[in-house]
Amino acid sequence: MAIDTTIFVRDRSGIAAYLDWLQALTGVGLILFMWSHMVLVASVNLGAGAMNTLARFFEETYMAQVGGPLIGITFLLHFVLAARKVPFRSDQQATIWKHGKFLHHTDTWLWLVQVSTAMIILIMGSIHMWTVLTDLPITAAKSAARVQGGFWLVFYLILLPMVELHVGIGFYRIGVKWGFIKRKQRKGMKKFENILTGIFVLIGLITIIRFLTLTI
Amino acid sequence: MGRKLKFEIFRYNPNDPKLVPHTDLFDLEETDSMTLFIALTRIREEQDPSLQFDFCCRAGICGSCAMVINGRPGLACKTLTKELPNNITLMPLPVFKLIGDLSVDTGTWFRAMNENVGSWIHTDKSFDPNAQEERMENAVAEEIYELERCVECGCCVAACGTANMREDFVGAVALNRIARFMLDPRDERTEKEYFEIIGTDEGIFGCMGLLACEDVCPKNLPLQDQLGILRRKMGWTAVKQLFNFRKTR
Ligand code: HEM
Ligand code: SF4
Ligand code: SF4
Ligand code: FES
Repeated sequence: MAIDTTIFVRDRSGIAAYLDWLQALTGVGLILFMWSHMVLVASVNLGAGAMNTLARFFEETYMAQVGGPLIGITFLLHFVLAARKVPFRSDQQATIWKHGKFLHHTDTWLWLVQVSTAMIILIMGSIHMWTVLTDLPITAAKSAARVQGGFWLVFYLILLPMVELHVGIGFYRIGVKWGFIKRKQRKGMKKFENILTGIFVLIGLITIIRFLTLTI
Repeated sequence: MGRKLKFEIFRYNPNDPKLVPHTDLFDLEETDSMTLFIALTRIREEQDPSLQFDFCCRAGICGSCAMVINGRPGLACKTLTKELPNNITLMPLPVFKLIGDLSVDTGTWFRAMNENVGSWIHTDKSFDPNAQEERMENAVAEEIYELERCVECGCCVAACGTANMREDFVGAVALNRIARFMLDPRDERTEKEYFEIIGTDEGIFGCMGLLACEDVCPKNLPLQDQLGILRRKMGWTAVKQLFNFRKTR
């Protein structure tokens, strides 16, 4: 119900600003993590030995045992913060869906992609993290066995593009929201983001194929 | 012979309870340098005198003729039919209150918005009508003018996914207003005072950076850049407050 009023009651606490900072910072943290994650997993392309050595290093220094749950917490925090902006009410969903369809506007669509991939990542990412972190140590053989089982192959083939799309768009969006990407650079940055997303999906696919063909 | 244009136009009068919202079809032959304003006027004169739409300046200055043209908000008087396909769908701007057909009441919304953000120069200096106006750097004046060009057409609000979902969101036009007064050396408001106006989820932190506002603004205002600058400024103001709070305790 809209009410015409000339009294404007405002929240002076600044809480919205802090939450927005946290949303962006958890987003950046997760982007950095996903990039490192890609390097670590893709190390299997250099040989199972390379991946095992890296994994052992992270476990012996307890970085996996401590870092893993920390990433998990960041992941959940990021979700809770970003969820403040997600249309959960059906009337909002109908509005934004109609709006997106009529407007023919890429950036509005990108946001809708970000929101829908987010929901899938929330579920699949949690399952993935749980599975890996409750079955330490990480070894190339165990990962390969999972992928070759079939179920996880399909699982990763879905999760990979979801994450890369979300990360790519998130990277671009932080840039425009916080004014790092200026009007003149916007087109170029969007192209850069698309290429980056493409490259990461490609590396991911190569890595999955490598796991498929790895003799255990 | 010009193209045969097919117009599909939204029809509804909220004051007539018997009516249901629907669209009507009109055929019109395109003429040289025809704008949507000319097309609509001809439809009204030749085919249906009850068709409601707004216009005033016919030159992209007054901002009254904004409507949704094939899905995109824009000014009818500035849009040439030759830039559009044969089928043209016209809808009233969303978010604003419908008066009838393509006519919406942007005035009430903009009045409330301007009052909300305090869209005037706030100063304690008393005005002396005989004194010479204070001077301002040319560069500053130009920067202000660039943001002052807004014609309050409402396109940026209608195109904004956030504003469509949440009617308490102030919209890019309001944020641009604040950016304009921040630049103005005559306005004595502090950053903290600006923060109290827009440092909320209804203000700059509600903006999700979809940039539809930037892409539809018929006056091509630098909304993307201003929104980015505001978010950074307001973000820092909040961080500074956090540390001040610690100090004063
Ligand atoms: C639990 C799963 C996740 C959910 C539900 C989620 C949800 C969202 C949503 C809805 C947004 C848009 C917010 C807005 O426009 O204001 C967003 C932004 C973002 N997400 Fe996620 N996300 C998830 C996981 C991730 C992961 C795993 C990463 C990185 C690897 C990530 C990186 C980002 C980034 C960088 C942004 C942009 C931040 C911003 O606009 O402030 N997200 N997320
Ligand atoms: S950037 Fe997007 S969310 Fe922000 S005001 Fe513009 S259209 Fe609305
Ligand atoms: S900022 Fe642009 S689109 Fe928005 S009201 Fe002003 S002129 Fe219209
Ligand atoms: S009639 Fe004034 S802007 Fe179109």
